[in-house]
Amino acid sequence: MTIHDLLPPAGARALAPPRRGLLLALVLLVCLAALLPVLGLGLFAGLGPNRQGLQLGEGGLSALLHTLALVLLVGGAGAVLGTTNGWLTARCAFPGRRWLRIAQLLPLATPAYLLAATLIDLGSRLSWRVHGFTWAALVLTLSTYSYVFLLSTETFAVSGRRQLEACRSLGVGPWGSFARVALPMAMPAIGAGIALSGMEVVNELGAVELLGVPTLSSTILKRWQNDGDPEGAVGLALAALVIVSLLVAAERLLRRRSRRWTMGSDADGSAPWSLSGWRCWGAQLLTLLPPLASLGLPLLWAGLSLDQLQADAALDLASLGVRSLSLALFAAGLTLAAGLLLAMSRRWLPQPLLHKLSFVAGMGYAIPGAVMALALLLLGGPLQISPLLLLLWGYADRFLAVPKQGLDAALERIPPSIDEAATGLGCGWLAALRRVHLPLLRGPLLVGGLLVFVDVVKELPLTFALRPFDFDTLSVRVYQYASDERVGAALLPALLILLLGLGAALALIPTLERGPTRPAAGPESGQG
Amino acid sequence: MGVAAALGACSLGQQTPTLGVYSGRHYNTDQLLYRRFTEQTGIRIKLLEGTDNSLIERVRSEGSTTPADVLVLVDAARLEKATQLGLFQPLRSAALDRDVPANLRDSQGRWFALTRRVRLIVANPQRVDVGAIRTYEDLARPALKGQLCLRDNKSVYNQSLVADRLIQKGHAATTTWLRGLIANVNQPFFTSDIPMARAVAKGDCGVALVNSYYVARLLSGQSGAADRALASALKVILPDPSHVNVSGAGITRASRHPEAAARLLEFLASPSGGKGYAEANNEYPLKGYGDNPILRRFGPFRDDGVPIQELGAHNREAVQLMQANGWN
Repeated sequence: MTIHDLLPPAGARALAPPRRGLLLALVLLVCLAALLPVLGLGLFAGLGPNRQGLQLGEGGLSALLHTLALVLLVGGAGAVLGTTNGWLTARCAFPGRRWLRIAQLLPLATPAYLLAATLIDLGSRLSWRVHGFTWAALVLTLSTYSYVFLLSTETFAVSGRRQLEACRSLGVGPWGSFARVALPMAMPAIGAGIALSGMEVVNELGAVELLGVPTLSSTILKRWQNDGDPEGAVGLALAALVIVSLLVAAERLLRRRSRRWTMGSDADGSAPWSLSGWRCWGAQLLTLLPPLASLGLPLLWAGLSLDQLQADAALDLASLGVRSLSLALFAAGLTLAAGLLLAMSRRWLPQPLLHKLSFVAGMGYAIPGAVMALALLLLGGPLQISPLLLLLWGYADRFLAVPKQGLDAALERIPPSIDEAATGLGCGWLAALRRVHLPLLRGPLLVGGLLVFVDVVKELPLTFALRPFDFDTLSVRVYQYASDERVGAALLPALLILLLGLGAALALIPTLERGPTRPAAGPESGQG
Repeated sequence: MGVAAALGACSLGQQTPTLGVYSGRHYNTDQLLYRRFTEQTGIRIKLLEGTDNSLIERVRSEGSTTPADVLVLVDAARLEKATQLGLFQPLRSAALDRDVPANLRDSQGRWFALTRRVRLIVANPQRVDVGAIRTYEDLARPALKGQLCLRDNKSVYNQSLVADRLIQKGHAATTTWLRGLIANVNQPFFTSDIPMARAVAKGDCGVALVNSYYVARLLSGQSGAADRALASALKVILPDPSHVNVSGAGITRASRHPEAAARLLEFLASPSGGKGYAEANNEYPLKGYGDNPILRRFGPFRDDGVPIQELGAHNREAVQLMQANGWN
């Protein structure tokens, strides 16, 4: 508990009652929209004819253990890889650093199911059996470590420069400075990254099914659709929800223990640590291999499968691409707005109950896409909601945590004194948001928006279950053809997904490049 | 025929409807066929393709508001599941009775098979004595220890094969067969057919159970020249008798255009429509062996005659038996 926890939120005084009422209503609306599917499922599980509540059932324990082991392994490996690469490319200097820093974003472009499918296909050509838990952990680490990288590297780049300079002047080396100063300061961001990757792992379906690992989400789907036991599926989904709640709670605890605010303009253009010899080689290898594997393998697979390319598959590629693109843009906008509203309300509205509610509202990320689809279908049918609206609702609910985690972490770094200064200078809450917070949150907003964009382009179970007639998207087409083992037909849509993901990843470059990370940068505004 | 004629009469002067089709099949060639249907009848088709189980759940949760008129599903168990959930409405059609053999349709006309596929055996002559493998029973013999590769128990085609054994041989004999089968397995269960067929061709497995159309696809070169060369080393064995599975379709209970939907089913099941549905995807038509040159090369097979409807009814028991005997 810090002194700041005891103070009323800084912006609270800037809100006049009617506006506060409006904000409260909006926040409640967003929370309700986010929680409705979960509540509906809970009721369904609790009131259905075969009500079971939270229970594992047959095969559930094995699925739970596999999922926990995957979350721990992938979270641990992703934390090490993401943080190390985030630090190396933000604060060290070695040949190729700038390109390798950008390359860390490439894994975001590759859906885990595509990576798994290409590995299995390439392996079977070489008589290698790509199957089982270890491969699943590898694939999921490769496809999720970028979350930790993105969130941590931004913190390494913008905060604690003075402390690090002090370290250096006291003779502490790069590893010492990293471990004793930079790492604790970046803990909130790293924790947020690990929580995101953990939720991604709990939710992953395509890759674990292809690799034959029984996880919660594949068992939930099997129980619901194959065994015709939706109540049992929901019981297991509740178990998944508990895991993710624990993950998020652990992350919060970690964050609270390392809470500190940084002044935005901490940048002084200081020189990075220069690496040479084996350190330089090591850094290059560590930052090169993961992106090379996650983008290079699908491209290698595409190159080897070119003779299966089907010309007729190219015909509707444009319409598939336009649908994926527009869905992803709409969903990103919607999710970002909701995430911003919830994150700001934590700062502005001093109701602890509301904070808890908005925390729970971010749990949609924990619900397997297929279960969320079931919930939305149950809601959408009686309410006569169009499938496209249901789909956007599902995306926003599923991915709300993505921008919200980043925004929460970033807002914790903005000292309340800034809000007080804005209020003191006569800014209303809207003006303070527009002139103070939004510019300071530009980085996390962009990162959050693009992550949602990429997530939606890659998303499968919701899109699959909720899309209307004649509305296939790229990921749907890839999955359909890949699951029917027709590589040739899946090739072009898969490449287009990679291309869209790459475009989004490359759009993040300015965020990465901005700030004091350029070795020769002059004085910076330091707006993260 | 009666339905079609009645429709012909009542459709005069009326606007032609647009049919909603949910399909568990996803082949470009299907869409060409739907277009041909539209050209012939003026009835347009809106298509939504998905996995079979998710489409079943979708129709179920949409209830009476479902925009689907026709539900096309792959595998006997899924057709039967949709039937048990009350998603289909019965249809009497002389054309369908004529074109769809009795064991390939629901006894009350709630669904009709449209194409057939055979669960066949591929073997590597370098590793096993292919002459000694003629039936599914042979796969459980101790001579094949460490030679057999299988897909996991999620493969609905394997589930239907076990259901087929249950119907023909009973619980005890099927259990013995399953134990022998699992004792022969050489490596972790596969999650897809093509890597398994490759493993047999390369000699990593001696023998495997796959669906006919995957092997035909490999041999046709659709999966690339390298796979065609690999597949040509495979010995394809059509067990005698063979277990046959189907893709089929029915009219949804909530359909707003049941007459037009019946016309679509009649078109797809007719020898000319069925040819388009089956042949382009390397499946067998409802009767005979079709004109697909690769399937013809496999030679004729003897259908074991088990009614498809019963396969679905035994699905749950089959899955339980697989799990109990180590087929995970």
